[in-house]
Amino acid sequence: MLTITDLSARVEEKEILKGINLTINPGEVHAIMGPNGSGKSTLASVLAGRSDYEVTGGSVELFEQDLLELEPDERAAEGLFLAFQYPVEIPGVTNTYFLRSAINAIRKYHGQEDMPPKEFMALVKEKAALMELDPAMLSRSVNEGFSGGEKKRNEIFQMAMLDPKFCVLDETDSGLDIDALKIVANGVNALRGGDRGILVITHYQRLLDYIVPDFVHVLMDGRIVKSGGKELALELEEKGYDFIKEEVAARA
Amino acid sequence: MTATSLSSDPLVAAYDELLPVLTVDGLPGFEELRAAAIRRYRESGIPTTRDEEFKYTPLHALTETKYRFGYGANLTREDVSGLLLGDVDAITVVFVNGQFAPDLSSTDSLPNGAYIGSFSEATEFEDDIKAHLGSIAHFDGRLGSTNDLRFVDLNTAYLGDGTLVFLEKNVAVERTIHIVHVVSASEVAALSFPRILIVLGENAEAKVIESYVTFAGNGVTIPVTEVRLAASARLEHNRLQNESLASTHIANIFVDQATTSVYTSNNINFGASVSRCDINAYVGGEHCETWLNSANVAAGSQIIDNHTRIDHAQPNCQSFEVYKSILKDNGVGVFNGKIFVYEDAQKTDAKQTNQAILLSPTATMNTKPQLEIFADDVKCTHGATIGQLREDALFYLRARGIPLAEAQGLLVYAFAAEVLEKITIDEVRGKLEAALFEKLAS
Ligand SMILES: Nc1ncnc2c1ncn2[C@@H]1O[C@H](COP(=O)(O)OP(=O)(O)O)[C@@H](O)[C@H]1O
Ligand SMILES: [Mg+2]
Repeated sequence: MLTITDLSARVEEKEILKGINLTINPGEVHAIMGPNGSGKSTLASVLAGRSDYEVTGGSVELFEQDLLELEPDERAAEGLFLAFQYPVEIPGVTNTYFLRSAINAIRKYHGQEDMPPKEFMALVKEKAALMELDPAMLSRSVNEGFSGGEKKRNEIFQMAMLDPKFCVLDETDSGLDIDALKIVANGVNALRGGDRGILVITHYQRLLDYIVPDFVHVLMDGRIVKSGGKELALELEEKGYDFIKEEVAARA
Repeated sequence: MTATSLSSDPLVAAYDELLPVLTVDGLPGFEELRAAAIRRYRESGIPTTRDEEFKYTPLHALTETKYRFGYGANLTREDVSGLLLGDVDAITVVFVNGQFAPDLSSTDSLPNGAYIGSFSEATEFEDDIKAHLGSIAHFDGRLGSTNDLRFVDLNTAYLGDGTLVFLEKNVAVERTIHIVHVVSASEVAALSFPRILIVLGENAEAKVIESYVTFAGNGVTIPVTEVRLAASARLEHNRLQNESLASTHIANIFVDQATTSVYTSNNINFGASVSRCDINAYVGGEHCETWLNSANVAAGSQIIDNHTRIDHAQPNCQSFEVYKSILKDNGVGVFNGKIFVYEDAQKTDAKQTNQAILLSPTATMNTKPQLEIFADDVKCTHGATIGQLREDALFYLRARGIPLAEAQGLLVYAFAAEVLEKITIDEVRGKLEAALFEKLAS
């Protein structure tokens, strides 16, 4: 469903992604692991269409469409969802209003009518319960004054509401205590299955105990330097990123 | 001054003929106050952009367009209820073109110890009105340069009827108090000088909304509101200026706060061609709170100018000021925020924020914070941001499927809605939110 071919990108004249190749088939869960600064969030941002990242080469196809040609909102409407590493606070826009706008915008894109308010409220109730979110948070401004954990749970809540076909989770585990981590993993696992593809980006292996991936890739200095099964994550946890660095050096 | 130069100022051209009407209209005994005010006004006349306090407020409309007193306009209750906020459930005092309209007002069933109504019907409170009126606006104890008071003088010169909100000690009025000024004019704009006096006794509490709206035509509206809060009194003072787009509106508000009182102003300006509002709060007691919130939208070639002045004369007080403007097309926003912290006012905590969003390359914002601090142990901050919408917020909305134009609209709306959230009267807030939405969409 997602095919990344030789993708390179830069920010402010700095080359960050240096030729990424990755294919994710329907129903698969992939994890990308890598040290800080290796380009994980850059990859996520390029997929979502952030304009300050300039694609300098390669291509990305989502459902046989040229993803890079689409506006960020069109990508979302086509079924791409990015759970942000740093969710943005939007004072003055309530969570509920925001979600209603998003759902109806996507429906409009597909030529559908607005979701009936009753159906919307029922969906909100169901998904808020799944993410163990306090209903009072729904009438508060988006992410404003939320704790780190609340922001991350809110991301997965939005993901559950929008029911995307392909999800990218950028360090959704960072800043979470173990209880919050379980809630988040639970939410993600509930969305697992069927044709939905999931890309989990993380620095630590911890999250992958709860969201068990089918494939693990290691990103270093803008390139995927190693791929394997879920046991690769464990190996990384045990030996650290240094052993891969050595491997890469030996290969060169 | 010669007779010709006098009549060349249309604001006072008919003054002498009108004087007898003013006495009949309001309460007796204000002759001296009026005489002193017209004398002061005539010494200076209409300000020009060479006057510091009116640098960005072109007032040529006052000399170039025709306007006159529009007494005798006849509106029905239906006419008024069709106006923005016209149907709000409230104790309501209505003036049409500056003239009290008892048939459109509803001020029955007031709690004991409360008067809400016109000066002309407040005969019992004559002495109270005399004790306060003018003394809040023309208060001599302020430090440094005083603001330009000529429109205050002009208003006082035309003092006739007005609105009194008078609450005795410990009286809390739960129902909203709505003071409505409607303009109903034909080809010639209606000139009016609304006057409001709000006096809250010790520990008294009220929520007031002052609204300035147009039924037909245009207005030249020059209101003065004086507010005096005794110890521990609490006032939520909402203001809506939504006059027709060729109107001129020049408002002055004066607040005098005693110990532990709380004054909250939510000042909303959407209308008029030139809209000016000065708020002067003198904090003359310890442990007071002063909140000045404001949302402004200027589109087309509207000019929306706000001046604020807070005098922290006593220690241990807090003031929070958030002024926001959205400027479209050739809209112009002006903000001048003065804060004076007097020598004795230690432990003052004053925070001033001014933010503007420019939605077109031809919109402009002029902002000038002016902090004059004479005490040493104080916390005073000010910040001004003028710019476009936040990129990170726009991207976040778009990443959830909301197209660019809609995301922009949502953020612009939210920027101002944050100010409207401070209004605790649900019905009023809801209607203003809808009006904001409409104003931004147009
Ligand atoms: N907006 C930006 N401006 C400048 N440099 C950036 C920007 N975003 C990322 N970078 C740089 O790109 C590199 C990769 O960053 P990032 O993709 O955030 O890494 P990761 O998510 O793997 O920690 C880092 O060196 C970072 O400093
Ligand atoms: Mg990152």
